[in-house]
Amino acid sequence: MAQIPNLDNASLNLTSLREQSQKELINILKNIRGKKCLIIDPKLGGSLSSIIQTSLLKEHGVELRHLSAEPIQSDCTKVVFLVRSKIDLMKFICSNVHNDISKGLQREYHVYFVPRRAVVCEKVLEDEKVHQLMTIGEYPLYVVPLDEDVLSFELDLAYKESQVDGDTSSLWHIAKAIHKLEFSFGVIPNVRAKGKASVRVADILNHMQAEEPVNSPDMVVPEINTLILLDREVDMVTPMCSQLTYEGLIDEFLHINNGSVELDASIMGVQQEGKKIKVPLNSSDKLFKEIRDLNFEVVVQILRQKATSMKQDYTEMTTTTQTVSELKDFVKKLNSLPEITRHINLAQHLSTFTSKPSFLGQLDMEHTIVEAQSYDICYEYIEEMIHKQEPLVNVLRLLILFSVTNSGLPKKHFDYLRRELLHSYGFEHMATLNNLEKAGLLKKQETKSNWLTIKRALQLVVDDTDTANPNDIAYVFSGYAPLSIRLIQHAVRSGWRPIEEILKLLPGPHSETKRGRFSSSPSFDTLQGASANIDRAADGRRSLVLVVFIGGVTFAEISALRFLTAQEGMAYDMIIGTTKIVSGHNLAETFVEKLG
Amino acid sequence: MANVSVAAEWQLLGDRYYRKPDLYHPLRWKHIDLSRNKVACAPFGGPIALIRDDSKIVQLYAESALRKLRIFNSAGVPLSETIWKNPGGRLIGLSWTDDQTLVCIVQDGTVYRYTSHAELLEPNFSILGQEYLDENVVECVFWGNGVVCVTDACKVFSIADFKSKNPRPLRLADPAPEGIEELPHCVAVIEPQYTMSGNVEVLLAIGDGVVMVEEDEVQPLPLPPGDGPLQKMVVSGDGRFVASFTHDGRMAVYSTRLEKIFEYECESALPPEQLAWCGLDSVLLYWDDMLLMVGPSDEPVRYLYDEPIVLIPECDGVRILSNSSIEFLQLVPNSTVSIFKIGSTSPAALLYDALDHFDRRSAKADENLRLIRSSLSEAVEACVDAAGHEFDVSRQRTLLRAASYGQAFCSNFHRDRIQEMCKTLRVLNAVRSPEIGIPLSIQQYKLLTPSVLIGRLINAHQHLLALRISDYLGMNQEVVIMHWACSKITASLAIPDATLLEILLDKLKLCKGISYAAVAAHADKNGRRKLAAMLVEHEPRSSKQVPLLLSIGEEDTALIKATESGDTDLVYLVLFHILQKRQPLEFFGMIQARTLARDLFINYARCYKHEFLKDFFLSTGQLQEVAFLLWKESWELGKNPMASKGSPLHGPRIKLTEKAQSLFAETKEHTFESKAAEEHAKLLRIQHELEVTTKQAIFVDSSISDTIRTCIVLGNHRAAMKVKTEFKVSEKRWYWLKIFALATIRDWEALEKFSKEKRPPIGYRPFVEACIEADEKGESLKYIPKLTDPRERAESYARIGMAKEAADAASQAKDGELLGRLKLTFAQNAAASSIFDTLRDRLGVS
Repeated sequence: MAQIPNLDNASLNLTSLREQSQKELINILKNIRGKKCLIIDPKLGGSLSSIIQTSLLKEHGVELRHLSAEPIQSDCTKVVFLVRSKIDLMKFICSNVHNDISKGLQREYHVYFVPRRAVVCEKVLEDEKVHQLMTIGEYPLYVVPLDEDVLSFELDLAYKESQVDGDTSSLWHIAKAIHKLEFSFGVIPNVRAKGKASVRVADILNHMQAEEPVNSPDMVVPEINTLILLDREVDMVTPMCSQLTYEGLIDEFLHINNGSVELDASIMGVQQEGKKIKVPLNSSDKLFKEIRDLNFEVVVQILRQKATSMKQDYTEMTTTTQTVSELKDFVKKLNSLPEITRHINLAQHLSTFTSKPSFLGQLDMEHTIVEAQSYDICYEYIEEMIHKQEPLVNVLRLLILFSVTNSGLPKKHFDYLRRELLHSYGFEHMATLNNLEKAGLLKKQETKSNWLTIKRALQLVVDDTDTANPNDIAYVFSGYAPLSIRLIQHAVRSGWRPIEEILKLLPGPHSETKRGRFSSSPSFDTLQGASANIDRAADGRRSLVLVVFIGGVTFAEISALRFLTAQEGMAYDMIIGTTKIVSGHNLAETFVEKLG
Repeated sequence: MANVSVAAEWQLLGDRYYRKPDLYHPLRWKHIDLSRNKVACAPFGGPIALIRDDSKIVQLYAESALRKLRIFNSAGVPLSETIWKNPGGRLIGLSWTDDQTLVCIVQDGTVYRYTSHAELLEPNFSILGQEYLDENVVECVFWGNGVVCVTDACKVFSIADFKSKNPRPLRLADPAPEGIEELPHCVAVIEPQYTMSGNVEVLLAIGDGVVMVEEDEVQPLPLPPGDGPLQKMVVSGDGRFVASFTHDGRMAVYSTRLEKIFEYECESALPPEQLAWCGLDSVLLYWDDMLLMVGPSDEPVRYLYDEPIVLIPECDGVRILSNSSIEFLQLVPNSTVSIFKIGSTSPAALLYDALDHFDRRSAKADENLRLIRSSLSEAVEACVDAAGHEFDVSRQRTLLRAASYGQAFCSNFHRDRIQEMCKTLRVLNAVRSPEIGIPLSIQQYKLLTPSVLIGRLINAHQHLLALRISDYLGMNQEVVIMHWACSKITASLAIPDATLLEILLDKLKLCKGISYAAVAAHADKNGRRKLAAMLVEHEPRSSKQVPLLLSIGEEDTALIKATESGDTDLVYLVLFHILQKRQPLEFFGMIQARTLARDLFINYARCYKHEFLKDFFLSTGQLQEVAFLLWKESWELGKNPMASKGSPLHGPRIKLTEKAQSLFAETKEHTFESKAAEEHAKLLRIQHELEVTTKQAIFVDSSISDTIRTCIVLGNHRAAMKVKTEFKVSEKRWYWLKIFALATIRDWEALEKFSKEKRPPIGYRPFVEACIEADEKGESLKYIPKLTDPRERAESYARIGMAKEAADAASQAKDGELLGRLKLTFAQNAAASSIFDTLRDRLGVS
C-alpha cells in the first residue's frame, strides 16, 4: 500500500494541488541536466514523502541524500540542496561547500528554498562566502495534503517560533497558503478567527487579497464557504491530554510520522529480528478509515467481532456446501483479511501500553486536572513524578495542563516545582523553563483562573459518555470534550456572537469578517434566508468549511471534527488545515532546549 | 457617376490596379528641400528625421552654418530638433529602429542614438572593433533593429540588436580575399528572421559577382552571366527576393540565391537613385524626375515628379515623401476594385449603387438589392473591407453606410463586423490626423498591433489619445497612465511636491493595481525624493513598497511597512539594509522598540552573530538575556570535544556560570535564575571533585538527582549525603532517589534497612513500586502490608498476581469500581474472577 494518500474522495480537488507540487519539483530537477545529488533537509524529506515517490525522483537522475553537517558523499558534479528557508540549516550547506572546497572538489551548486527564498538565509550564505557559488531558486510548496480532509503547512515549529522566539514567519506562510488555495477555489467569503495569531493571519490574508487580488467571476460560488482560524494558544488543554481514539493512541505511543508509523517487524507478525517496517496510515486503508476516529475501547470490540465473524464464516465454509455467490462473498471478505490482521496486531501492541497502571494513573490525573476540583492531589502527583524522574516530557505535559487550567501556579509552588525540576533533570532545563514561561504555558499565577467558568459554559466535561454510540465529541477523550472543537462547533453553527462572553475569557482577540463581493452587500448579515442559500452550494453538495489550526492539531481533534461532520443536520463538510499534526508529546518537546 | 472618379485615379500595371492617394497635402513643414538633406523615415507611418547632407555642396540661405537634426511627424509637423555637433566625421547613414530610436552612424564608426524627442541616448559606442578604429565606414544598410556597415578596407561589421542594453558590434567574415580591398558596388541585407542560421546574411556586389557574407563564412553566389556588376540591390519585405539594377540598365529580380526570376530592360543605363519594393508585387525605380513602377507585366507605370522624393517602403506599399506632400502608393485592394472598377457589376458594386439610389429615394435601390439577394452578405463584407482600406473619411462613411444598408436585408451576416470596423477606423482616423501624423493603413495597423501603437503614442507624449484608444479598445490603461505619470514628473520640475502629488494621484487612481512604487522610483530618479516618499505611501504591495522606501532612505517607514505586511522576509531585508548603513548602536536603538524586528534580529544573531547579540543585549540593558547567553556558552564549552571531562576547562565553565549568576542577580525578577546558576556552579565544582576522587568521568553534566543516585550506586553513601545536604534536597526526593538507586543495584538488604531507618516520609508505596518493577515479588511482600491505604494495597497485590489478597483489601476499601477493575485484570483466571463477583455482590454493587 502506498504511503501517498489517495485523495479521490476529497471534497476539494486536492489531487490537482498535489500534482501541481509534483510537477514543480520535477521541473526543477529537469532543468538541471544530467546526474545530480539531491540533498534534502530531513524534515522536508518527510513532507515530500506524502507528495512524491522516491522512485520518481530517481527517474530524473537523482541521487538522494539528507542534509547534515557530514560532507557530501557523492561523485555527482551537480549538487542540489532542497531546504526549507530556515536559518539554522544554512550552516550545513556552508559546511558541505567548505568541505568540498578544502578537498579541491569543484561542483555546481543549486539551492532551492522551500517555499521561497529568504533574505536572511541568503545573507548567511553571503557572510560565509558561498553565495556566489550557488544558483538560487525556490520551490513553492506551501501545502501538503495528508489525507482527503487534512492539509498540512508542514511548519512543525510554528508554535514555538511565534510564541517563544517572536518569529512570525509561519503566519505569513499560512496566509500565503490559504491565499494560494483561494486562487484555485475562490475567495472565501466568511472568516472567523480566534487568537492573536489567527487574527493576524486573517489580517495578512486581507492584505494579500488587496495586493494580489483573486479575481473570481461574480456568479461563481466559491468552493470554500467559511474559514475558521484557531490558535493553539487558545486551547493548550486538549493537546496535553492523552488521546484515546485509535489513531490518536497510535500517535501517542508509536508516533505517526508523515502518515505512517514505524514498528518492529515482529509486532506486525513478520518474523525478522530487528527489522523495522513502515505501516502507512491513511484513508486508503478502508478498515482504518472506519475505525481511526473511534475510541480505542470500541476499536478492540469491532476488531474482535470482525475476527469472530471471519472465523465463523470459515468454519461454515469447510462444513456445508456453498453456492457460488456465497463463495464469492467469502473470498471478498478474505481480501480484507490482511487489513484486519494488520490492525489486530497494532491494537494488540497498543494495549500493552494502555493496560499499564502508570498510563491509567496518568489518564486519571489528566481528568482530575481538567475537572479542576482537587488542586492538592494534582500538585502532589506532579511533584512525585519529578521526584521519580519520570520522562521529562510526560512531566511537562501534566505541568502545562496544570498551569494552564489554573492560569499559573502560586509563586511558592511555581518556584518549588521549577527547582525540583532543575535538580532532577539538570540545570540545562533552565532554558526549557524559560521557553515555557515565555509561551505562557508554565507561569506564576497572577489572576484567578476562569477555567471552571469556561468548562461549565462550554460543557467540556461530559459525565456519561457512551464511547460505543457517542452523541458528543467528548468520546474522543472518554469524557472530556476538546475545547478547540467546542469552539468550532459554535463557530460553524452560529458564528462567534453567541459565545462572545466565553471567548473573552480565552487568550487572544477574535474577529469575524466578510470578504470578496459579500463584504459590500449589507443585506447579507441580516437576511437569514439569503445566507442560507449561499451556504448550500448550488449542486446540492454541502458547502465547505476550512478549519485552520495555527500551532498544530491532534488526531483526536480531527476525529472529533469528523464526528461533527457526520452528524445529521450538519450543513457543512470540513477540511482541516494545520501547521502540523501534533501530539502533546511533540508539542511539549519543542520547548525542551537541548544543551550539553 | 461618382464611382468613375474613384477608378480614374488608378493605374493599371499588368492586370492589377495601383493607386496613390495623398496622405497629407500639403505637408505642415515650410521650406524643406529634401535634396539638400539626408532623410530617414520610420516605417509604419513613423517620424521623419532630416539633417543637412554634408556630402553635398549646398547653398546656405538665411540659416546657421551649424547643422540641425530635425524630426517631424509624417504630416510634417515639427516634433523636435537639436544641433548636430557630433565628432567623428561625415554622417554615413541614419535610420529608425523598430522602437523608434534614430540611429546615426558617422565615418569613424561611432553610433549616435536619439529618441524621437531628439535627445541623445548615452552611451555612444563604436560599431568598429577596438583594432579597426582607423578605418572608415563607407556604407551602412539598416534593417529592423540592426545594421551592417562596410568599411573602406572592405570589412563588414554588424550590430544585431540596438534594443539590447549593450549593443555589441560583431565583425563578420571578410568578403574579399586578404589584400584585395575592392569596395562593393552595392550592399543588401537579408534580415535574421528570414535566414536559416538566424543570423544576418549580407549580399555584396563585388566585381562581377555577388558574395554572401555571414558571421564566419563567405559564399560566392553565381550571378547569371552578363548581369554583373550589379549597381543596386534591395531585398523584398519577406526576405525571399532581391531586386537589382545591372550595369547595362536592366532591372532584375532574383531569388536570394540569385536565380533570376524576372527581368525588365530600362531606357537608361544610369542606375536609379532609389530602388524599392512596393509590397511584394512590384519594384519602384526612381531617377531624377521619374518614378518607374515595374511589375510582372511588360508595361511599367511612369509617374513624373518635379521635386525630389523619398521612397518609404511599407509592408503593403510605399509611401512617397516629397517636399510638399506624402502619398501612399499601394495595390488597390480587391474589395475596392470590385466596387469601384468601371463597369463593375459585382454584388458589392450593386450594393454601393443601391445606397446611392436609396439616398436619392429612387426605387432602383430595391431593384439592385433584389438582384444581389443571394450574395448580399458577400457584398456587405466587401463594403466593410473596402471601407477599412480607405483613407478618405467621407468615403469610409459611404462604404460603411452601404454595408449597414445591405446588412439590414441580410440575416446571416456577422453583425459585429461593421461595429469592429468602425472602431478600427475611428482609431486609425484619430492617429492619422495631422497633429498626430501616423498615417497607418489598416494592414499596417494590424501588423503593428494596437499595443505597439499605444506605445508609440505615449513615446510621442500623446497620452490623452493613447488613454482614450486603450480605453476604447478595452485594453489595460496601466502602461499609458504609468508613462504619463513618469513624463509628468520629468516635465514638472516647477510644480511643488504636494500639488504634483494631487495631479498624479488623480490620474493614477484610474487604474487599479498600478504600481505606485514604479512611479515613485521615477520621481526619486528625478531628484524628487520627497514626492517619491509621498507616492510610495500609496503603493499597496509591500514587496514593492519596502525596497523603494529603503532606496530613498526612508528606513523607519520601511521598517514599519514591512512589519505591517507580516512578511518577515521584508523585515529582514530592512534589517540588513539598516545594519549595513548604520552604526551598531544606532541600529540597536532603531529596533529596540520594534518587537518583530528585534525578535527576528535576535533569531538571526543567535545562530551566527553571538557576540554581536551580546552587545545588543548589553546596550539595551537586558542583562538577564546576556546571562542566558553566557550560560549557554558554558554548556557549549562542555560540548566541545577538546574539553574532555575532568579537564581544567571546568574552570572557565564555572566562571561563565558565575558571571551569568551575577548578571541575573542584577534584576529582582530573576532571583530564581540567579539561584539556579549559583547552584549550577556549585554542582559543577562538586562533580569535578567527585570525578577526581572516584577517577570516573561520569558526574559532570548530570543533574543533582542523578549525581546522588550515581553516588549510591557506587556505594559512596557519604558523598550522596553530602550532595543532599549541600543542595538541601528534600526528604521526599531523597527517599525516592535512594530507594530506586538501591533497587537498581538490587541491594534488597540495604533497602529493607533503609525502610526501617525511620517512618518514610512518603510511605511504603515507593518501596513496593521499586520491588515490583525489579520483578521481586518476595521483596515487595515485605512492604505491601505496611501500605496504609487499602486501595493501594489491593492494587499492589493484584499487580503481583495475588487475587485473594487483592480482593480482601479491596473489600476493605468498599470500592466497587476498584473491584470491577481488578476483576478485569484477573479475567483469564476463572477462580479469581469468581472471588471478585462474590465480593461485589456482597458490596451491593452490580
